[in-house]
Amino acid sequence: MIERRPWSRSRGIRLGVGTGLAVLAIGGAGAAPASAATAPAPRPLVVLLGDHVARRAPSADAGRIEAVAARRPLTRGRTVLPVLGRGGRDDAWLRVRLPGRPNGHTGWISSGRTRSTSTPWRIVVSLSARRVIVLRDGRIVRRYPAIVGKASTPTPRGSFFVEEALRLSASAPGAPFALATSARSNVFQEFEGGPGQIALHGTGNLSGALGTASSHGCVRLAPHAIAWLASRIGAGVPVSIRSRYVA
Amino acid sequence: MSNHLDFTRGRVAFIGIAVCFVFTLFLVAIPIAAKAAPVNLATAQPFVVLGGAGVTNTGPSVLNGDLGVTPGTSLSGFGAPAVVNGATHANDAVAAQAQADLTTAYNVAAGQPIAPGNDLTGVDLGGLTLSPGAYGFSTSAQLTGQLTLDAHGDPSAQFVFVIGSTLTTASASSVILTNGASPCNVYWKIGSSATFGSGTAFEGNVLALTSISLNSGVTFLGRALARNGEVTLINDVLTLPQCATETSTTPTETAGGGGTTTSTTTSASTTSTVANGGSGGGKKPGKGKSAKPSATKTGGGTATLVRGKKSASGVRASVQGKRINTVTFTDNGVRVGGGGSRTVRVATTPGVHRVVALVTFNGSTKAKRLAFSFRVPTPVLHPKFGPSQFTG
Repeated sequence: MIERRPWSRSRGIRLGVGTGLAVLAIGGAGAAPASAATAPAPRPLVVLLGDHVARRAPSADAGRIEAVAARRPLTRGRTVLPVLGRGGRDDAWLRVRLPGRPNGHTGWISSGRTRSTSTPWRIVVSLSARRVIVLRDGRIVRRYPAIVGKASTPTPRGSFFVEEALRLSASAPGAPFALATSARSNVFQEFEGGPGQIALHGTGNLSGALGTASSHGCVRLAPHAIAWLASRIGAGVPVSIRSRYVA
Repeated sequence: MSNHLDFTRGRVAFIGIAVCFVFTLFLVAIPIAAKAAPVNLATAQPFVVLGGAGVTNTGPSVLNGDLGVTPGTSLSGFGAPAVVNGATHANDAVAAQAQADLTTAYNVAAGQPIAPGNDLTGVDLGGLTLSPGAYGFSTSAQLTGQLTLDAHGDPSAQFVFVIGSTLTTASASSVILTNGASPCNVYWKIGSSATFGSGTAFEGNVLALTSISLNSGVTFLGRALARNGEVTLINDVLTLPQCATETSTTPTETAGGGGTTTSTTTSASTTSTVANGGSGGGKKPGKGKSAKPSATKTGGGTATLVRGKKSASGVRASVQGKRINTVTFTDNGVRVGGGGSRTVRVATTPGVHRVVALVTFNGSTKAKRLAFSFRVPTPVLHPKFGPSQFTG
């Protein structure tokens, strides 16, 4: 004999409540919530066709921040800067990220004597993972283990860009290539005759194991990795140096 | 006894279900009621730009629709090189009635119930894909990048944005309508003023309490209607969408004609074509006479977007067809070309390019967007030698 569980009033109400909530859930499912769609756009860049003056506001009367040379000092290649926005009269001024100290600083330049371009590339350096992540059109296309700055000479965090890409001689420290960035060391004001510039470069003629924090602040990559980057990544490509990578 | 118990437990269960069903209906009624109520522009429909205090233009803007102002009288900058393909009403009775109907439409839009999940206060519209309905911003709204409005195949689907204060779009932002969404059914109620960044490709009807400012190179498929303040244009293209006739005392527009879009690819070029299917008659808006929809009348407008070969100087895009009025090209949302040319050359900078041609026609053929995309691979770089003087 099968013992039947007594039917109670509360059980009936629970059934009704459950049915009601199920209907409510179905009704709620019909609502159309806003959904985010990723649509990564190429990052706007500007090529300087002449020397410029970076100013604090989109006006020729605004305070002067610094002069921005049309060519970079190491290779004499064109200066290419990330564009962060437009403003001023007729949107004729560009807010750009500037190279050098203070790290990550920005300013306004006139759009005259410039050429617009864009890049699908972006580089993210994850200091905790000691990895370099390469994105194209918002998608990760490469992850490379790297050597990052040690505790006493850390790799500076922030938003930067590639100032210039250069090939190094086989005997040079960091061979075979370097992507010189707009970042500067927060420890060294000068290093090996340079301004304490942070670069992504190779491990040639340098010690240290990939995946460690043992550099003076630069980001070192295996020769094949920096060669892959140097054949694709040019001036102006944004470089984010973060504690950890967040999509 | 057993029967009595069965009856009792069934009755209790029924009561429970009934109570919850009523409760559920009450709760479900909230999102149902939150569906956007129809907004009717009535006699404001023929106006692509309508200002309150004035309308000011700089440069070769193109207005494909009527231009008006009231209670102000100032319409400046609309001589050459600007073009107005429509009637102009400077503080006359037509403009006054349009302003009155704009006020009514504004109030209807402002009164849309906003479901709690559709309150987007503090959310940038860029990168969102939204379904039909009413969306609210208690203060300002910002569009940075691309907003997609998905009608899910319902051409009558309505989108209403109820914005408490300002709407601002960043440069090169865009509104994309998909799956049958029509700019005729997109309304932006702005509590104060709207500002559109350079190169914005915008769609919908902007109903602003105060002013509307379009920076340089904005393409606008819809209407810019300001109640009290000014509308300011700088080298922009505004096109009235061809809409089905709304219920109003003065019918002004009829369906354009069910255009069809086909796309074919050949080894030499890619073409994207729109042809008027001729399902609806119509007339040019704003002429005051009623037009009867007719299956026999055709707009007759056709357009084909032809993609040329890629060369060092760029990719050539040209629009060919019949009864074409204006063509406006954009590359990734930024206007390219100018001067009404039907051919442009798009620079081959690395990355993906989406070239869109907004084509308007003479007659009743609906304005159409034709598009193609191409990718420019990043060239292999050969860095120059340089000194190693980095931090190491």
